[in-house]
This record gives sequence, structure tokens and C-alpha cells, in this order.
Amino acid sequence: MSDETTSPPEAPVSPAGRPVWQRLSIVWIVPLVALVVVLVIAWQNYADRGPLIEIGFENASGVRAGSTEVRYRDVKVGLVEEVGFAQGLGQVLVKVRLDQAVAPYVDSDARFWVVRPQVTTQGVSGLDTVLSGVFIEGLWDNEPGPATTRFEGLADAPLERLGEPGLRLTLRASGGAALTENAPILYRGIEVGRIGKPVISDEGSTAEAEAVIYAPHDRLINSATRFWDASGFSFSFGPGGAAVDFSSIASLVSGGITFDTMLSGGTSVDPGARFTVFAEQSAAQSSIFSRNEGEALTLSVLFDENITGLSTGAPVELNGLRIGEVEALNGLVDEAQFGDGNVRLAVTLAIRPGRLGLAGENGTGNALDFLRARVAEGLRARLATASILTGGLKVELVEVPNAPEAQITETEGAPPVLPTTDSEIADVSATAEGVFERINALPVEEVMAQAITLMQNANTLIASDDTRAVPGNVNALLTEAQALPARLDTTLAELETLVAQINEQALAARVSSLLDEAAEAARSVGSATEGVPQLIDRLDTVAARAGEVELDVLASDLSALLASAERLIGQDDTRALPGQLNATLGELALVLEELRAGGVVDNAVAALDSARSAADTFAEAGGDLPGLIAEARGVLARANTTLEGYQAQGGVGRDARAALREVEAAAKAVASLARAIERNPNSLIRGR
Amino acid sequence: MDLPEGVNTAREQGLVGCTRCTRPSPTGTARCPRCGSRLQSRDAMSLQKVWAWWLVGLACYVPANIYPMLETRTLVSTQSDTIVGGAVDLARHGNWGVAAIILIASVLIPVGKFVVLAGLAIGVRRGPQISEAWRHRLYEVVEYIGRWSMIDVFVVAILSALVQLQALATITPGRASLFFALSVIFTMLSAQSFDSRLIWDSAEGARPARNPKERIA
Repeated sequence: MSDETTSPPEAPVSPAGRPVWQRLSIVWIVPLVALVVVLVIAWQNYADRGPLIEIGFENASGVRAGSTEVRYRDVKVGLVEEVGFAQGLGQVLVKVRLDQAVAPYVDSDARFWVVRPQVTTQGVSGLDTVLSGVFIEGLWDNEPGPATTRFEGLADAPLERLGEPGLRLTLRASGGAALTENAPILYRGIEVGRIGKPVISDEGSTAEAEAVIYAPHDRLINSATRFWDASGFSFSFGPGGAAVDFSSIASLVSGGITFDTMLSGGTSVDPGARFTVFAEQSAAQSSIFSRNEGEALTLSVLFDENITGLSTGAPVELNGLRIGEVEALNGLVDEAQFGDGNVRLAVTLAIRPGRLGLAGENGTGNALDFLRARVAEGLRARLATASILTGGLKVELVEVPNAPEAQITETEGAPPVLPTTDSEIADVSATAEGVFERINALPVEEVMAQAITLMQNANTLIASDDTRAVPGNVNALLTEAQALPARLDTTLAELETLVAQINEQALAARVSSLLDEAAEAARSVGSATEGVPQLIDRLDTVAARAGEVELDVLASDLSALLASAERLIGQDDTRALPGQLNATLGELALVLEELRAGGVVDNAVAALDSARSAADTFAEAGGDLPGLIAEARGVLARANTTLEGYQAQGGVGRDARAALREVEAAAKAVASLARAIERNPNSLIRGR
Repeated sequence: MDLPEGVNTAREQGLVGCTRCTRPSPTGTARCPRCGSRLQSRDAMSLQKVWAWWLVGLACYVPANIYPMLETRTLVSTQSDTIVGGAVDLARHGNWGVAAIILIASVLIPVGKFVVLAGLAIGVRRGPQISEAWRHRLYEVVEYIGRWSMIDVFVVAILSALVQLQALATITPGRASLFFALSVIFTMLSAQSFDSRLIWDSAEGARPARNPKERIA
């Protein structure tokens, strides 16, 4: 029992519970380590990952979530995580996980675009993306900025290139100049810049494009720089032969512009400055002198009339001073605004403030203020004739007295609109039309017909045997007439000896004066016939020129012809010709009559009487009657001989008469020609 | 050997077998008198180890299936396939055999291993649903077949070593290959940690002792 008391009953022993960590296997460390590793990696990933940004694109062709990279300077800086749509499906929204390192630099000025393979006339770009798939290129500056998460992606690569700072400009196409996207800007044949995507300017009248001139060439640009289109080619043909000019094959194909600073003293320009691109170098050169007036004020004018003749580049004048030009023309139909469906002429004007003396800072604003004040005083725009010849129009700003109230209408986003007044257009077209109608109405054919008739008449006249015979006949006449005096002299000498006391040589004097007149007539005929070939020559000339359709020449020729004809007719000789001829003929006839019919016989009779009386006297005197009779017989015989000779020489008279008849016919012919011309001059002028 | 009825294990005979040289020693012997290795009637930490490795193995198996196993870059495309995706792709192209091999080696076997190991470990605690002999056979299969799961990793390793034609075609192992290899390793370790003697303890009708010393006492 003592055993039992000394030894207490065995207390129930439960083994002391070993601490949990002793009961656990060491292997549990492995999952723990794994867990820790996972957590650490997860945390690290989370801490390292950059912000998620959203980029909106028009389309996401080729962009794939999880594989499309975002690159900066061709180094991957992000990955597309998701491609979805923006609210309303208007845009594709690409969510990009950016690298932590670059995230601070991707601020609001960052730009993104998708690099795709492109084959253009400028070359092939993005070729590597053919194999690797597209990537999104990012561009931002080197300054950290506030975080931005929403970006608008660009449709095309921007003009700037990384590491190529440059001067941004706005180019404005004028006239025929063409702005081609991505075309090079050349200087002395070297590419110094690029043209961006051209867009239609806000007012819709021209095309504008961003352009960049890469440094260091941007120092070539100043306010006196002028750009012109270097694309295409020009063909010129001159004394030196034909020439085709183009700047380079590349620009011929793909377009391109070039520039030059044509005047010293230009001031440096700010980024974004506007320059006009001219169609050709000459235009650019001429502009340097005419357009050095700073930015233009763009105004709009709505003309109710829609008249042809106004063209771009037409002058805009204020009191006769050219202050700008027409920049664009558009037809305008706006029933809502005007209440009818008429086509109106919307003219865009470019006013040069410099021409108004308002150049400098805010020149356009000042010019607008000036015009606003002037419009309140009645200044209105109207169309006016610029050139009578071409019918070209210009826009005139004139003060209209008592004009109805009006003012410059200004609308947001559109150029201010100038009020208009009635146009002052000389009805050039009508006048010109009248002129042309008159020209049309000219009886050209009649004139031609008459001229032809005239020439035919002239031909007939010239070709007629009579006319041809005239010179010969006249010559014969003259020879005979020359021979006549000698014979007459002989006769007269004989007569003289016979009837010396009776006739006192009166007959001879008459005959000689008569012959003088005949000679005069013959000369006149000669001068008249001299005029005829000239007339014919002129007619020939007229006929030759009539073939050409130059009315004025024809007219002048005709008038010259007429003048000549008139001169011919007006010659006293010519006029006097018929009369003189007649008179001569008459006198000749008289002489011959006298000679034949009376004078000589009478004289002979008288001589016989005288002789008889003399004989009587002698008889009475009882003188030498037989001798006297014999002498009288001799005288009679001689008189007979004379008379016989005279009769024998009657042929001379016939010849002379025939010659004179022919001369008379010639004169008649000339007279009829003269009459024909005389009848016609007015009809030649009037055509009737 | 004539064993009394109902005796299943060495421990019931007061013996402990050496796991290295299989020489039985009386219970309580610290070291095997023949080979000198430590003697333990049962590995008390066995189940814990099994579960620990099993867990890590399973954890690794998840990313092994999520991430791509192979990344194939050819001239025109980059393709990365997960295990199942690759097998499906192959099957779609008619390579049923290869697809089946991949599926069996990379999916069926590892998953089966996880299931079997978990079943064995649970079976030790909860009492058997199937006979000890079957369970032991399953265990042997798992332990034997486990290494063949590595066939996938080998394929990846060989392919990426051979196909390195620069831009033309390149095959690189994906992230999943590493995880898959780890998963295989961990499940093998898990299987090795399992003390197969525990299978037979449950046949005694008693729950296996948590603490051998407690049993011994």
C-alpha cells in the first residue's frame, strides 16, 4: 500500500505537444518560397508596368492586341493590350501599355501613327512592317509633361522627323500651283523639306498644306522668300529652237516645289508663317515686287449677276487703285438664304492692306476696320469692265451716293461679305456683237462681184482691138499729121505762089493752129492711155489681195483704186479729151470741107477772076494778052495740078478721119470706164 | 515466412525495415546495422511533404498551361502555342497521333498524377475505398510514369536547339516550358515523398499514427 502511497498513481501523460513548426515538414518552405516568388514577381510586374494609354485611330488595320508594338525611335516602348471601339463605334480605340521609362515624356504633345508599308512615288517606306506586321510609331519631345491617357492617332506620319528639327510653314497654292502630299521642297536641287497633306483652306478657295524645312536649311527662309511649283515641265518655242524645261525627273513625276529668296532684306519668319506657292518662277518673281504687302485680307462678295468675264487674278480696285485681286470664284445657289434658286457669283477677294497703307501689325484688321467705315459711308463693290477688248471684268469698290444702308456682314468661319451695288459693265459684248454683225452685213460678195465685173470690163477694154489699136493709130495719125504740114506746106507754098495776094497765108496759119490742137489732142490721148495700164496694175493688185480676207486692206485698196480712177477721171486732160477730139475733128472736117468744098476752088475761082480781071485790065491795057493768057493757063494748070494733087491726097484725110474715129472710140471706151467707176464709188463704200 | 493471421506490417512484428538495404531491424534501432542509414518505421512527415510538393507542382502546372509552350517565328508570322492549343492545332491539321501523344504526355499523365497522389494521400487518412494492392500499384505506376512527362520539355528543348535559323525560322521555348518542367519535377518529388508503407497501415483498421513515438510508447 505504502508502495501505492509512496508511488502516486501514474499520472496520465500526454506528450507535450510539439510546436507547430516542429511538426511541420521543412518541405513546406518550397510552396512558401514559390508563393513569395510569385508575389514578388507580381508586385514587380505591377510596379514596373507603365500607364495604359488610349489612342484613337480611324481604323486599326494590322494592329493586333498583344503583338503590335509601340515604338519610339524604332525601339519598343509599349505594347498594344487591347483593340476596341470608342463610344459610338466612331473610332478604334487602341489601348497601349507604355513602358515606365518613357511614360513621363508621353504628354499631350505626343503623336502616334501606324507605320504601314507604303509605296509612293517618293519611294517605299515601312518595308520592314511587311514581315513583322505594323507597329505604332510615337513621337514626343524630350520634356516630361503631365500624364495624358487619351490621344488621337494620326492618319499619316507627321512631317517632322526625329532628330530633324525644322521650320514649319503653311503653304498656300495659288492659281495653277499644285501641292502634292509628301512632295519634296527643293533648294538648288537639294531636298530641304517636305510638304504635308494638303487640305482645302477654311474658306474653301485654295489648298493649303503644312510644310517643314529641315534645319539648318530653315535659315534660307525669310519674308522675301517665294515658293513656286517645280513640278511639270514647260515647253517653249522661240528663235533659239524648242526647249523643254523641268527641274528633275522626280519632281516631274511626283511634284515638288522650290523656293528662292529673290530680294535681300527679308526678315526672319515665325513658325507657321504663310507662304504662297506660285505656279511658276516668273510669277513668283513678279510677285516679289507686287505683293510685298503682308498677309491678305480675305473678303467675300456676292453678286446677283453671274457674268462671264471675271476670273481669278482680276484686279480689285478702290478709286482706280489696285488694292487686291480676285482669289476665287464660285457659283452659289442657296434658296434658304436668298429665297430663290438663282445662281449667284461668290467672289473671294484678297485685299492687300499694304496697298491701303495699312501694312504692319494687324494689317488685315486695320484694313477691315477701314473698309467697314467706308462701307458705312456708302462704299460698295460692283463688277466693272476691265478691258473693252477682252470683255474682262474687275471688281470695283466705289462710293455710291445715297446708297441704302448696308454693312460688312461677318460670319464665323467665313470671310466678311462686302455689300454690292449695280454693276457698271459697258455692254462690250453687245457692242462687239454689233461690230461683228456689221462686218457680217458688209456685202463682201457683192463688192467682190463688182470688183470682178470692173476688172472684166477693164480687161475687155484693154483687150478690145480698138484700144490696142489706139497707140498705133495715134502714132500713124501723128506721123501722118506730121507729114501733113509738109505737104500742106508744099501745097500752100504752091498756093502761095498762086494766090499769094489772095489768101494772105491765113489758111496756113489756121491749119498750123489746127495741127497744134491735133497734136495736143494726140498727147492727151497718149497721157490718157498712159493712165490705163496703171489702173490695170492696181486692179490686178486688188484682185490679188482680194484673195486675202483682210477687209481693211481690200477696202484701202479699193479706195486707192477709186481714188486713182477718180484722179484719172478728174484729169482735165481726160475730161477735155472727148471735147478736144471732137473739136479737132470738127475743125479738121471744117478745114477739109473748106479745102475740098469751097476754099481752094473759090480761091482758084477768085484767082481766076482776079486773073481774068487782070487779063481784062491787061486787055484793056492792050498789053501782053497772049502772054498773060499763057501765064494764066500755066497758073490754071498748076492750080489743076494742085487740085489733082489735093484730090490724090484725099487719102490722107480719110486716114486721118479713120484715125480720129478710132481715137474717138478709145475716148468713148475710156469715158465709159470712167462712167462705170463714177457710178460705183458710193456702192463700193456702202455696199449698195 | 509464416506470419500470424492478421499481421500485415513489419511494425506489428516489432521490426523496422531499412528503406535502403531492406534489412529488418528491431523497432527502436536508430541506424541500420548493415548499411548505417537511419531507420524509421514510418516517415512522419511523408504526407506533409507529399502535399507540399503536390501543391507547388499544381501551382506550376497552371501557368504551364496558360503560357505558350513554344514560340515559332517564321519569316512571315510569329506563332506561340500553349500545350493544349498546340495539340488542338495538330489535331485540326490531321496529326491525330502526335496530338494524342502530346495530350497524353502533357495533360493526361500530369493530371492523373495529381489525382492519384491526392487520392493516395487522402486514402491514408480517410481509410481505403479501394484495396491496398491497387493503391500500391497505382503508386508504382505514378512513380514510374512521372518522368515521362518530361518528354514535352525535351521536345521543346530539342526543337529550340535545332531550329535556330535566324530570321527564317526560330523556335524558342515559351514560359510554360519552364513551369511545366518544374511541375513535373515537383510532382515527382511529391510521389517520392510518399511513404508507400502508409498504404498498408490503413489495412490494420487503425488510423496511421501521427507520431511514431506515441505508437512506440
